[in-house]
Amino acid sequence: CAPTPARRAPDAALLAAQAAREATLAGMPAWALTGRIAVSDGRDGGSGRIDWFQDGDDFDIRLSAPVSRQSWRLLRRGGVVRLEGLDGGPREGDDPQRLLWEATGWLIPVEALAAWVRGARAPGAAALEFGPEGLPALLLQHDWRVEYRLWDAAAAPPRPLRVFASRGDARVRLTVDRWDWPAPDVSARP
Amino acid sequence: ADAAARFDAFTSGLQGLDGRFVQRVFDANGQLNEVSSGRVALKAPRQFRWEYERPYPQLIVADGDHVWIFDPDLEQVTVRNQSHEEQGSPLAALIDPGELHRQFDIAEGGEKDGLDWLVLTPKKAEDAQFASARLGFDSDGLKRMSLEDALGQRTEVVFEQWRRNPDFAAGHFRFVPPAGVDVIGEVGEGAQAFPIED
Repeated sequence: CAPTPARRAPDAALLAAQAAREATLAGMPAWALTGRIAVSDGRDGGSGRIDWFQDGDDFDIRLSAPVSRQSWRLLRRGGVVRLEGLDGGPREGDDPQRLLWEATGWLIPVEALAAWVRGARAPGAAALEFGPEGLPALLLQHDWRVEYRLWDAAAAPPRPLRVFASRGDARVRLTVDRWDWPAPDVSARP
Repeated sequence: ADAAARFDAFTSGLQGLDGRFVQRVFDANGQLNEVSSGRVALKAPRQFRWEYERPYPQLIVADGDHVWIFDPDLEQVTVRNQSHEEQGSPLAALIDPGELHRQFDIAEGGEKDGLDWLVLTPKKAEDAQFASARLGFDSDGLKRMSLEDALGQRTEVVFEQWRRNPDFAAGHFRFVPPAGVDVIGEVGEGAQAFPIED
């Protein structure tokens, strides 16, 4: 597959820059992306267009896969998670990953991915390797292996464009066609 | 001329078709959701190839036995059997007109936007990927296709530069997954009774 860039072991400077980016991102709790996602367990799975709106811990994730009719909508408002659009009607729960897995068989680490897809670590232990531009190339966390294949390094802060996560046979691959997040703050713009 | 007459004229002696398309998808409340464009090719009796070029590459190839969907950005190939009664899109009926009458109830849709329209309603709703379809014809043949699915999402496709009965390159309707990509779905044995000669 695609040649992965030479990776650099984390040193203090790289980790400090990462922490600074994560602090900036924490100051921007509202964001949205439009792109495509492919999920598989090595044999089965699916892909489709994804529209992901996040504000703090609340999110509204819409997956449309018209050809295979696997479209669904996963929302969290004030701690209540709701999955809509599938046969059998809406489902509610408190764990988005489990709710989605039980209803579709798709394994998506929704909460952690909300951080990973922005290039940040989720809470908890993590190991990082960086690419030539000093941006994360590989992130190991919660038994997942998250590869950052493509970055929009010119954005402030830089934004991932292609994120491939895997855990055993499970794969979640996301390619971002459009990011929408507010500028950190006007004074920070170059 | 009425649309049925234009359909017959366009499909008579048609064994293959190649052209370009622009596709617009509108969500249930009519908001434009996505615009894409690329090339489309059809070959009797049941092969087709949709090559999306913009906004991102995606290839859909039906070789008569299987439908392959390749997302280069995601490095993933999805494959499923091409079942006989599958109604991929009414486009397939262009190279197998008998199918049109078997799979759809057909009605004249009158003239609109300078085109004569055929309205197609799938006979077996549960197999169909769309609730209704409309084909718009001008003097050159099929110009527009409009599909509406059960959720109210509408897909509008405009065709250009049709070439009738082109001689396709060998393997134009074959697909072999590139090395290293993730292939999901089963490659069952051929689902069809009649062989596809190539």
